[in-house]
Amino acid sequence: MSAFLIRRLLRFVVVCLGVSLVTFSILHASGDPVALIMPEAAEADRAKLREALGLSDPLSTQFVRFVGNAARGDFGRSFFHREPAFRLVVERMPTTLALTCLAVALALAVAVPVGIYSAVFRNTVGDHAATVVVFLGQSMPVFWIGIMLMLLFAVQWRLLPVSGWGTWSSMVLPAVTLGAFTTPLFMRIIRSSMLEVINLDYVRTARAKGLSEWLVICRHALRNAALPIVTVIGLQFGLLLGGAVLTESVFAVPGVGRLIVGAIRQLDFPIVQAGVFLLAMIIVSVNLFVDVLYVYLNPTVRLR
Amino acid sequence: MKRWLTLMVALILAALVVPIGAGAQGKDTLTVALASNATTLDPHMHFERAGILVNINMFDSLLHRSAKLEFEPSLALSWKALNDTTWEFKLRRGVKFHDGSTMTAEDVKFSFDRVLEPGSEKKKSPQYGNVRAIKEVKIVDADTIQLATDKPFPLLLERLVFFPIVPKKHVEKVGEEAFGSTATVGTGPWKLVEWKRDQHIRLEAFDQHWRGRPAFKYVVFRAIPEVATSVAELKTGGVDIIRNVNADLLPDLKSHPQTRISTTPILRVHYMSLDMRSAPFDKKAARQAANYAIDKQSMIQKMMAGLGKQVATVVQPPAFGFDPSVPPYPYDPKKAKELLAQAGYPNGVDITMHSAFVDFRPHFEALGQMLTEVGLRTTVKMWDPGPAWNKYFQAEGKATNGQYGSWGNYSVFDADAVLHPLYHTEPGGWIGKHYARVEGLDKLIDEGRSSVDPAKRKRIYAEIQRMIREEAPSVFLWTQNDTLGISRKVAYEARPDEWLWLFAAKPAS
Repeated sequence: MSAFLIRRLLRFVVVCLGVSLVTFSILHASGDPVALIMPEAAEADRAKLREALGLSDPLSTQFVRFVGNAARGDFGRSFFHREPAFRLVVERMPTTLALTCLAVALALAVAVPVGIYSAVFRNTVGDHAATVVVFLGQSMPVFWIGIMLMLLFAVQWRLLPVSGWGTWSSMVLPAVTLGAFTTPLFMRIIRSSMLEVINLDYVRTARAKGLSEWLVICRHALRNAALPIVTVIGLQFGLLLGGAVLTESVFAVPGVGRLIVGAIRQLDFPIVQAGVFLLAMIIVSVNLFVDVLYVYLNPTVRLR
Repeated sequence: MKRWLTLMVALILAALVVPIGAGAQGKDTLTVALASNATTLDPHMHFERAGILVNINMFDSLLHRSAKLEFEPSLALSWKALNDTTWEFKLRRGVKFHDGSTMTAEDVKFSFDRVLEPGSEKKKSPQYGNVRAIKEVKIVDADTIQLATDKPFPLLLERLVFFPIVPKKHVEKVGEEAFGSTATVGTGPWKLVEWKRDQHIRLEAFDQHWRGRPAFKYVVFRAIPEVATSVAELKTGGVDIIRNVNADLLPDLKSHPQTRISTTPILRVHYMSLDMRSAPFDKKAARQAANYAIDKQSMIQKMMAGLGKQVATVVQPPAFGFDPSVPPYPYDPKKAKELLAQAGYPNGVDITMHSAFVDFRPHFEALGQMLTEVGLRTTVKMWDPGPAWNKYFQAEGKATNGQYGSWGNYSVFDADAVLHPLYHTEPGGWIGKHYARVEGLDKLIDEGRSSVDPAKRKRIYAEIQRMIREEAPSVFLWTQNDTLGISRKVAYEARPDEWLWLFAAKPAS
């Protein structure tokens, strides 16, 4: 176990370096931030600012300096906000994580019962209806779902606020929107992994013991079907953080995604670097956590 | 399983029971939706529209501009030019900052010096370029200051309309970072209460403001990036004013019982700048052909709901120096084809046009189509504003053919504010550096900006307008309107300078 963790930690460092290098290269290839900071200024003034920001050094020097500072948690100051970039990102992280976790919880709350139902009552009208909903859900873009929900619940019926963040009521629409994006996939995975185990011998044995169908499904079948579900949650988490960018824009949620998108528009390098780095770390951590979780869900899995 | 279900149901119920607080506002609060919040509240350390709109309601500058675009006294009571390079300003007495201190000539000097940073090599304010002509700020006595420029600088008064005066002692005490975020202090009608990043900026009326008390006790600027969302907020009363309403939304907002629109021509001109360094637009006839190819009137009617006006050049009617006697190019596809043949392309030619003007993508595509119809077979390339912004005209030496964009003069109502960036070829210039190669134009632009004699400047600009109309360094298109969506509960009208001067806003009776 500990050898496993050490190896994973090493890989963690490699991933972080890789992510930084890729972000750094793409950013520096994408344009000159100084032209956006002082659009009307003369070239001589721009050159001075470029030097002050350290942008006139060779790229390799800039990258080494960036890694050195980043290792100490210093991602530089935002070109536009004039504050440390890392702090700006960290301030907004709880909002994005809360939105993502709420969405996962909502998605599971719908997908688990419906997925089980579909598997148990395979090829019934209910199962087919669920399949149709899955297809519909997967083919609607997050953006569109968000605006439709907003028009119905906030503009037409006035049940919920249109946008914003902070009160429980304002969190409902963003979380449902983001949840709707991931529910279909969860549902499909649950259905298929339940189908795989539901006819196995040990499930039949459980039934033969005289357990109620409810107990058979929840205690025996679901437990073994859980492994792929957990994997998918881990994988989906990264996608959801991506989906959060759109949701945050639609509902004016003050999260990391919006900050990064705005920063890309303005070529605010420090914020993009700090933001992408932190998101990458979170995704790597979630996947590590999922790997460890396997051991508890399935004792035959060994971490090496 | 059951426990989870109960918990979820409980959560959902709780969510529904909690009162809908975010949208409900009393009538002493005016809420404005902006696409983004400022990146800093320090009025000298950014140059963004969103930040300026917030700053003008918290700070005063030496001069103010009325809704009719006339200069009005603000922190300066009067001003006069002592000679070509020296201006004198008499300051208003007894003006209070939000922290209770009184504004002095020291504060005025400090405000200029923190942007100009005399003696320092590196300038950190992005507004430095606007006022770099100012060489010295001299305090004559407690109520008088003089600004000396390095050469005649006719745009000085224009530049002073947005040049907020900040309190010296306070800024030095709290430091720049706090001044730009939590401890922002000015002399304007509203003072800062709270700034929640990416959510809202809340202001409260300042009791001792020299103009008196504004009609709304609170002003809230909300950051809402999506247009559809801000429209939904406006309809449900969550916000009172939204900006930049597109033509397709107009009928909806006009007919809705809670909302109305207010529209006005603004200082924003659309153009396609042509790359004169390479074929085919190194030929005057080809450039003129492109100008004849565009049916401006029908585009304005069909794609912009009639909210726009065709222009003869890039100099617009409200700007100083505009010459109404220069006529716009008419739509004449036949003539365009003839001119193109004259330029040596009887069978047409393939060109590529670039743009990062995402809001006007359909217009860009229509323009490309019209050029194609007369034989300028156009590929339109759309770029994302940030990253690829300078790609198309920083390709020095390469033929990029042209760029579709708009220029807002940074709200400076003077011909120079559009001619210099678009057509002057000095190194470090804006588009002109890359595209424009009109013989003798640089010299005329320089002459225009180095005189403070209005009659002489008018003559020069009239000459320039006739010259560029003939030489056609751009395809001249139209001016744009700014349209606000406004709650029927609020009395306020859009301004030609796109400012949201909320002191003029009142509850509708």
